[in-house]
Amino acid sequence: MGSIWQDIRYSGRMLWKQRLATLVSILAFAVGIGVNTAMFSLAEAFLLHPAPFENANRVVALVDSRPHQNIDMNAIAPATYFDWRKEVRSFDRLGAYAWDETSLTGNGPPQRIQAFRISANLFEMLGVQPQLGRGFLSEEEQPGKDQEIILGHALWEQHYASDEHILGKNIKVDGKSFTVVGVMAKGFDFPLPAEAWIPLAIDTKERERRDSRWLWVLGRLKPRVSFSEASAEMQAIAQREAQAYPENNKGWELRSMTLAQSMTGDITREYTLLLMGAVAFVLLIACADVANVQFARMAGRTNEFAVRTAIGGSRSRIMRQLLMESLLLAGCGAAVGLLMAQWEIQMILSHMPPDVAKFIAGWKTIGLDPNAFLFTLAIVVLCAILSGMAPSLFASRANLADSLKESGRGSTSSRARGRLRGALVVAEISLALVLLVGAGLLVKNFQGLLNVNESYSPRTLLTMNVGLSDTRYPKDSTRLAFHEQVLERLSRLPGVESAAFVTHVPYSEGGGVGTYVFSIEGRPPAERGELRNAIIETVSPNYFGLMKIALLGGRLLTDADGANAPPVAVISESLARRYFPGENPLGAHIKVGGMDSPRPWMTIVGVVKDVHYSWINKENIPTIYGPFRQAPPYYTTILLRAADDPSQLISAARAQIAAVDPELPLYNIKPMNRIITESIIGIAYVAAMMAVLGGIALVLASVGVFGVMSYSVSERVHEIGVRMSLGAQTSDIVRMVLRRGMLLTIIGLAIGLPIAFALARALSSVLFGVAPADPFSFIGLPLLLAGVAALASYLPARRAARVDPLAALRCE
Amino acid sequence: MEPIIQLRNLEKSVEAGPNRFFLLRRVNLDIQPAEFVTIMGPSGAGKSTLLSIIGMLDGAWTGEYYFNTEPVHRLNVKKRNELHKANIGFVFQSYHLIDNLTVFENLEVPLSYKNVPHKERVSRVCDALDRFNIVGKKDLFPNQLSGGQQQLVGVARAVIMNPKLILADEPTGNLHSAQGDEIMQLFKRLNDAGTTIIQVTHSERNASYGHRIIQLKDGWVVGETATADVGANAAQPG
Repeated sequence: MGSIWQDIRYSGRMLWKQRLATLVSILAFAVGIGVNTAMFSLAEAFLLHPAPFENANRVVALVDSRPHQNIDMNAIAPATYFDWRKEVRSFDRLGAYAWDETSLTGNGPPQRIQAFRISANLFEMLGVQPQLGRGFLSEEEQPGKDQEIILGHALWEQHYASDEHILGKNIKVDGKSFTVVGVMAKGFDFPLPAEAWIPLAIDTKERERRDSRWLWVLGRLKPRVSFSEASAEMQAIAQREAQAYPENNKGWELRSMTLAQSMTGDITREYTLLLMGAVAFVLLIACADVANVQFARMAGRTNEFAVRTAIGGSRSRIMRQLLMESLLLAGCGAAVGLLMAQWEIQMILSHMPPDVAKFIAGWKTIGLDPNAFLFTLAIVVLCAILSGMAPSLFASRANLADSLKESGRGSTSSRARGRLRGALVVAEISLALVLLVGAGLLVKNFQGLLNVNESYSPRTLLTMNVGLSDTRYPKDSTRLAFHEQVLERLSRLPGVESAAFVTHVPYSEGGGVGTYVFSIEGRPPAERGELRNAIIETVSPNYFGLMKIALLGGRLLTDADGANAPPVAVISESLARRYFPGENPLGAHIKVGGMDSPRPWMTIVGVVKDVHYSWINKENIPTIYGPFRQAPPYYTTILLRAADDPSQLISAARAQIAAVDPELPLYNIKPMNRIITESIIGIAYVAAMMAVLGGIALVLASVGVFGVMSYSVSERVHEIGVRMSLGAQTSDIVRMVLRRGMLLTIIGLAIGLPIAFALARALSSVLFGVAPADPFSFIGLPLLLAGVAALASYLPARRAARVDPLAALRCE
Repeated sequence: MEPIIQLRNLEKSVEAGPNRFFLLRRVNLDIQPAEFVTIMGPSGAGKSTLLSIIGMLDGAWTGEYYFNTEPVHRLNVKKRNELHKANIGFVFQSYHLIDNLTVFENLEVPLSYKNVPHKERVSRVCDALDRFNIVGKKDLFPNQLSGGQQQLVGVARAVIMNPKLILADEPTGNLHSAQGDEIMQLFKRLNDAGTTIIQVTHSERNASYGHRIIQLKDGWVVGETATADVGANAAQPG
């Protein structure tokens, strides 16, 4: 123990003595460790603990997926859920929930809340209990007996002033009376972002539906049943279902996943892993930098190591001493890195809009916790080994006899050391290039997503949602009247250029897009697996003009397309291309739902250009537009085109809608460009983080080149002196040093480019507006890296050119 | 009495292109315990090389080497290091103190390499400081000492482990004559107390402190003389 303390003391002194080298090393480690710790905190929240419930590791999410449509998670049809409940053996219970946006009414202005309908056993399955009151009873799953509600803690605090006597009280939800039976504990908001829960009561008719998927199903594993066993059983059941009901299950595949997986989602997981890889690259580059600094420091201490050996120090003991120095450097770097990580996490948290954060599982738990400290500790040891092992191995095997001679140079080991240091720089350049290219592609993707929507000038568009309840607007005529009045009033508002309706504006559902089955008259789906899916938008006729969607053929919808006119639809170019290849779709008949759906056939009267709907889907999604007068919707998005800042219209628009229905809550009132940026904020985060990491990598790699070239110059002062005394010009010396720096850079680029190209190929399939051979990424960024490396080599080269040959030769 | 060192047909060579260049050739040498031997010869004769081999810093040679009857040529690196650590102390021409350690710490380092407990280390370092009269310098760094003082510390470091053998490579080469004499007298006293000493030197004056001179030339042992035959003018140790 005493000798370890002695090592620590000596190491500290050595580091203090070479303060500049120590500072550079600590900063490199701080940056590398800081980004890794911050990223670990994110990954821990997203991947390890997104579901902070007692039974989370025994709960399995059962979802449908459509791989060829990039739908990795979809709800289940009610009939399928009830079939499973009868058949499964691996789960001791199955539960389900469904989204249900509702409005609190009757007590002040109406408030839109995110409620979920849940099966009575859901809370018990997760291992959670209400803080006040009780959960739902199984009899409350009966239609007609489902007038109970459980409040989320935040809603209880804000809307009901934490009323301790709330239990048993009646509150109005969408105009109906519900009895409060419980209040959940603070922070509980499953399924995200729940504010209240009501019983999942499904009537007999709905229980038999297989064509409508809206139930999210969870199962709790029986004791001693593994996830893979349950998964295998579910696959077998799903196959039987697919054979029994082929019409409804074409193209769908069952996926079993842990609750944590389902809450995080595949895309978050993939991007988190991508960023974990990127920060690991940064750490490796930082370690290579520090290793180079250590090589330089140790090269100046060969005599010391030889003496230590001569007076009895074993190789392992000397290595221990040197590794201790690396450990101290990494420890100091970690101390600074933790502060940086804390700052980085605060930056990440503070820039995320609350409307988006509430949908991200684990977001609330992001922070530096004990696990992050343990991770940092492990990273410190790893850094010490990665950066210190090679230099200490070299230093401890120096040629003793040579080193102890008066002017022994140990040329062999110095050459080997030089080669290794060169290899480290090559590795740094390669890693930095891969990171830079990754960052470049993601930034281009982000820019592409912003640019693709510029066609309809989202900055001057205001959007807001309304949802008409079926109790207050049961008839088509009442809903139509509401829409007509609202449209008329809003169109007349000063500052409004035009007003329109659409079911969902692009990018309004995060990364998701709701698509529905549709049928083409006279063309029953021929072979199994053929999918006819499209976004179904119910729009006002002027929607196309407001969104600047160009007509490609036929006509647009008009005011004449009313309830008594023949049903019509306009389709998007992608739908025409996919389902009517080589033919004119105008005049063809389509309808929403299967061939046997009760919905009417609509005549295609026009084809319009596509609108990009989601950052996840690179390709345009087929879309069908129907006139709102022929199917007045319950849920709609109002769009207002303003001359300039659309937020000025909010209060006037509120007043106009309240004049039509004072009990109707307006929600999601946002300019369109905010909807887009919030939707792609995840990509923005990833792009920004990758750009920062790429920048860090660039700086670290250039520090590496600078360090190696500086050291190389100091080692070759004598040689440079001799060359100059033999007639070498300043430019010859500069060229000589630059040549070596650029050689290392070119080798690094040559190794990095194929790796970066492979990365680009993998990413380009999922990124928007990014080609695998993007010229900016594959010409611009390598040139940037080469330029920075040239500058990093030029500074030592200039120093070399200033060597005084007489002084250099006298030194020797 | 068995010799403390026996070298039999010891050879050391290095590759030089297609040829082999011999640094030492067929060296046969016996050194008795408590003997004070001087190795002399022109530059490039192989003196320092021989000292490195005897000091077990160099393991790449052929022939036989017995240290206290222990066959060094058969020992692996670890055993050889242990033998070296337990028995041999080094003194160098340019002192080779560790620049960043104080005098006290420089003396402490070899003890810590032998895992001597902290308390004992302190006590032995204090003894050595006292014995070499450098207590007042214990907190100074090497660059704060004169050459003679540095070499004094170098000798103190070499003897702090009570080695059976001290190897000194030009120990007074960087010192002026008064300091050199002081160091040589110190060696003499250590030798009188029973420590075997082998020194490499060009100075006949220093050689006169020893019992025997081994002459090396081009790697060969070319002569061996008792000191009495050398320089009657050399100063007698005091």
